[in-house]
Amino acid sequence: MMSALAFANPAILFGLIALPIIWWLLRLTPPRPKTEVFPPLRILASVLKREETPSKSPWWLTLLRMLLAAAVILAIADPVMNPRANSLNAGGPLVLVIDNGWATAADWERRVETADLLIDDAESADVPVSIAFTADASHEPVPGTAAAARDKLAAASPKPLVPDRARAAEAVSEAMNGTRPGTLVILSDGMAAAGDNEALSALAALSPTDMRLIEGDGHSAVALTDAVNNAGAMSVTATRLSTSAQQLLTVNALDTQGRALASGVLEFAAGAATATAEIASPFELRNDFARLNIEGLATAGSAHLLDDGFKRRRIALLAGESGSDFQPLLQPLYYISRALQPYADIIQPNTADLSVSIPQILEGNPSAIIMADIGRLPAETYAPLQQWISRGGTLIRFAGPRLAAAPADDPLVPVILRQGERALGGAMSWSEPQSLADFPSFGPFAGMPRAADITVTRQVLAEPTPALAERTWASLADGTPLITEKEVEAGRIVLFHTSAEATWSNLPLSGNFVEMLRRLVQLARAGGAASSGTGTDGAAVTLPPYRLLTADGILTTETGTARPIPIAAGETPVASFDHPPGLYGTEDGFTAVNLLAPKAVIAPFDAAAAGRPVVREGLAGGEAVSLRPALFAAAFALLVLDSLVVLFMNGVFSRIPRGPRPSRGAAAAAIAALAFGLVAFVPGQPLAQEMPPGSGAKPGDEQILERLDTTHLAYVVTGEADVDRLSEQGMEGLSQFLTYRTTLEPGAPVGLDISKDELSFYPIIYWPISANAPMPSQATISRIDAYMRNGGTVLFDTRDQYSALDGGGTTPNGERLQAILANIDIPPLEPTPSDHVLTRSFYLLTNFPGRYTGSPLWVEARQEARNTGAQLSSSGDGVTPLLITGNDFAGAWAIDTQGAPVMPTVPPDEMQREYAYRAGVNIMMYMLTGNYKADQVHVPALLERLGQ
Amino acid sequence: MASIGQIVEQTPSSEVLSRAQARAALVPDCMVEAKRIANTVIAGWHGRRKRGMGENFWQFRPYAEGESLSRIDWRRSARDDHTYVRDREWEAAHTVWLWADMSPSMMYRSTFAHVSKESRALVLMLALAEILARSGERIGCPGIMEPVSARNAAERLAAAIMHAPLTTGLPETSMIRGQSDIVLIGDFLDDADKVMERIAPLGRRGLRGHVVEIADPAEETFPYAGRTEFTDPETGEKLVSGRAEMIREDYQRAYLARREALGEALRRLGWSFVFHRTDHLASEALAAVHGYLSGMPAQKPGGLQSGGGMP
Repeated sequence: MMSALAFANPAILFGLIALPIIWWLLRLTPPRPKTEVFPPLRILASVLKREETPSKSPWWLTLLRMLLAAAVILAIADPVMNPRANSLNAGGPLVLVIDNGWATAADWERRVETADLLIDDAESADVPVSIAFTADASHEPVPGTAAAARDKLAAASPKPLVPDRARAAEAVSEAMNGTRPGTLVILSDGMAAAGDNEALSALAALSPTDMRLIEGDGHSAVALTDAVNNAGAMSVTATRLSTSAQQLLTVNALDTQGRALASGVLEFAAGAATATAEIASPFELRNDFARLNIEGLATAGSAHLLDDGFKRRRIALLAGESGSDFQPLLQPLYYISRALQPYADIIQPNTADLSVSIPQILEGNPSAIIMADIGRLPAETYAPLQQWISRGGTLIRFAGPRLAAAPADDPLVPVILRQGERALGGAMSWSEPQSLADFPSFGPFAGMPRAADITVTRQVLAEPTPALAERTWASLADGTPLITEKEVEAGRIVLFHTSAEATWSNLPLSGNFVEMLRRLVQLARAGGAASSGTGTDGAAVTLPPYRLLTADGILTTETGTARPIPIAAGETPVASFDHPPGLYGTEDGFTAVNLLAPKAVIAPFDAAAAGRPVVREGLAGGEAVSLRPALFAAAFALLVLDSLVVLFMNGVFSRIPRGPRPSRGAAAAAIAALAFGLVAFVPGQPLAQEMPPGSGAKPGDEQILERLDTTHLAYVVTGEADVDRLSEQGMEGLSQFLTYRTTLEPGAPVGLDISKDELSFYPIIYWPISANAPMPSQATISRIDAYMRNGGTVLFDTRDQYSALDGGGTTPNGERLQAILANIDIPPLEPTPSDHVLTRSFYLLTNFPGRYTGSPLWVEARQEARNTGAQLSSSGDGVTPLLITGNDFAGAWAIDTQGAPVMPTVPPDEMQREYAYRAGVNIMMYMLTGNYKADQVHVPALLERLGQ
Repeated sequence: MASIGQIVEQTPSSEVLSRAQARAALVPDCMVEAKRIANTVIAGWHGRRKRGMGENFWQFRPYAEGESLSRIDWRRSARDDHTYVRDREWEAAHTVWLWADMSPSMMYRSTFAHVSKESRALVLMLALAEILARSGERIGCPGIMEPVSARNAAERLAAAIMHAPLTTGLPETSMIRGQSDIVLIGDFLDDADKVMERIAPLGRRGLRGHVVEIADPAEETFPYAGRTEFTDPETGEKLVSGRAEMIREDYQRAYLARREALGEALRRLGWSFVFHRTDHLASEALAAVHGYLSGMPAQKPGGLQSGGGMP
């Protein structure tokens, strides 16, 4: 029997001898005081009387420090609380029956440790050791040396299987061969398995002197047993071993890459062994689920593999009549497609010709084909359809008048049908409309509640045959089958004996219809029919292992000793030694083999069957509690306490709030700095507001301010030197004229590079079009567009009045203008009407000559004028975004530095120049005043309204 | 760090003689210093400022009946119709007793001061002796030197001190008679009541007294911090303060209260009280004491506080 408290490093305990020395050293503190001669000692004494002045540390401080030292020494000695009692019976060999099923993966290390300790004990007791692993395929439990047993133990690993204790017990019994074991230890995973009773009685028959059962706490024995795809969520069922406490677990759904797609919460109520989690996610996402995993558990049981059964199906719909789009509720396919749309991809042929559409559909290899009321198919389509079904296709048919009228030898119905339909509850019938009977316990509808609200008034009847009952998945209350099926090799034919629309029954209107169709579709193979060549023999398909699950719940490509698994239709494959859980098949299609059957429940291992007392123990290492961390923590706490005491005794705390001292200033500064730091990090503090004004200034601001100060006339720098010079002179001339005649005193003209310069400062931009100038880029044109959209005006001047007259066609300048405007959203234009504001915004003008005369000035067409034809002028709300002329305004306005005109007018008439200036003034006034001048037209009406 | 205060001359308490020698060695330096500061004070010397027997002119006043005609100043009287008498300044010699405390506590000097309290006391005493001797007073030192009237009285006092035995406490004062002035220089660290017990009989005998308290700055400001053991240089008592800075304010209050009480008691006795810190200039104290001696209280020069004055 080991002591309750053991030390890993007992030698360190000699350090405790040093404690008196430490005590002596501690007594020396505090250090000797400074010695000061002080003549007015008597005055000081009168003050000092109140204060205790210990020359040595108080005893409790010394004690504190002694405890601190002792704690450190003890911590280094590493005491361990480990009362592991072990006494092997030396009267016979030690028999170890070790479970290495899936639930042991989580604490396998501790199990090995426990077994190791037992083997150690056996070695010291000098008894042979027999060891057997219950989940292994083969057992070699011949008693051997401890070293051999250790080797076996090291070689063993947890298997993703349910242990088979009976086989192991049998092997042990054989190996012992009558020898009476001294101690028999079952290192159990705590879960009951099939054959436990036999195993226990076999082991008890060995009549060991001592029989022990060692179990873990079983907290990791949680397994996913089933996953069902419901309408809105995937429902995951799990079972667990320890049912005592409430338990919350998270179930993650992973895709093939191992990425978590969705998760649900598995909530075990206290006392409940099973729980169900709902993983709510869109159906499309659920198609990508490849695996379910309990978070935090890494066992084969906590992983649940999903296969094609969960994939979204492709369903082809066929109807006997195309029907009318105007009466959708009478169409048979309407209800089916509405019911299936959430769960399946629906293919509808684009032609009503079945001889064309069926091969087309089969080419797409759908999971299922639904035929609503099709009596006869084109003869050549039967063979390919049958072939498709035998390869795994599912054909779902609905009855109807056509099917009822079809000949009885239809090979694509599951049962032999009588000719004609049966009407129930009609005017000429005695019988009542029939409701549904309970769903049979087999078939896809098993478990669905009875659909009491469904009544069937018409149906097609099946000829009674001996096999009819087992082919019936649903029947009416009077026992006539409503849904029958027939398996055709790998495929299946399902027939609804009533119609798919609401004329024969109200089944299509019911929610059960959706559920029934969904279940049927789930039955269909996701990949459609298997490719021709495999599985045509009709025997069970044998699938090779593709990916296998390890005991840790991880998929590996290593298939090891796994053998191909025969998959019988409609049978859930079971994991075994030869077929460990995993995916079987190929990359294109595989079947999941899971560890536990869908309804499996984990029950605790019951050793009562042994029929004799069994000592129960826990795993080793469970109670081994190292006191080291606690001692170090205590030492640290004492250190902190000691520091605080020393600081307190030195008056640190009382010093802080006391009178003025240099350190106080420093402390205050530090606190202030800290506070400032905190404030600086408080989010949202508008510290940036403190910036001095002007610091945000950017280069070019001065220029902008200057531009904003006074109005400037602007022109576009085309890149052609003489045009640009003339533009500048023209703007200068107009500026001078404006200054002279009006209150508008523009600043110096500005030449604009419209690809770069800011345009928004100028009310109007004069753009002399020159075919020789480079074409502005698209970005530049869009800048101009934006400028016009934002209220600016561009005055395009093609300067081609007379050249246009010459040719009679479009001039190069005009073409250039058209090219520029091609990408601009320009409004409809019209020549300036005689009542336009432009004609009277300053001067009264009838036309707008420039150097030339005769070209109209095009402006935006007024909406009102066009719509109403009203004579009373004035749209004017908003200024026209562009003006187009060919009269070469700038040429007429241009003056040189002396103020003399640069260019002669054509014809040479100084009055024309005067009118050109007046046109410029009117344009500028129009730009700056907008519709104000237009409003003047209303003045008489306004005055009249005011009663004058 | 070095301790703030120290005893200037490490003198074994038993060897009185050697300490006397040490003091004697100190005296010449003090004499030099005393002459220097005496000169600064004498520069502003204006006699006794009283009418009386002397050689210097004091004032003209109208002749009163019965006065000696020989005292009439005819030159002045001739200027108008009145007769004037020329008064001369009173120059009667006084006896001034000077005494400085030489107890071990006076040998204290802190790092804040340039000289020890004893040195400062000697300087003040000798400087006063020099000044008074120049103005013809009789200088005495109780228990050390009989009053003498000589120009070199300061030197003679210094010589007497050098040879004097060590004394502690106030000296024997029975030989002091009549209307003398007495100047007591010391640190007066005892209770005010105890000091007054000694001084009060002198005052009641009609002596005019002037008390100069010499203090070291460390004694007044108590610049100690942390764990400190304090030793009394006279008794050898020890006191340990765990946190010296904690009692600073209390100590200062007690120290100043003692000084206040002493000054108040002396003022009631009609004596003057000057206190002086060794980190200030000696001439400040000298001017203050001299002002009191000459009947003109000092005008509270900067840096010097006056604890009391003549009524």
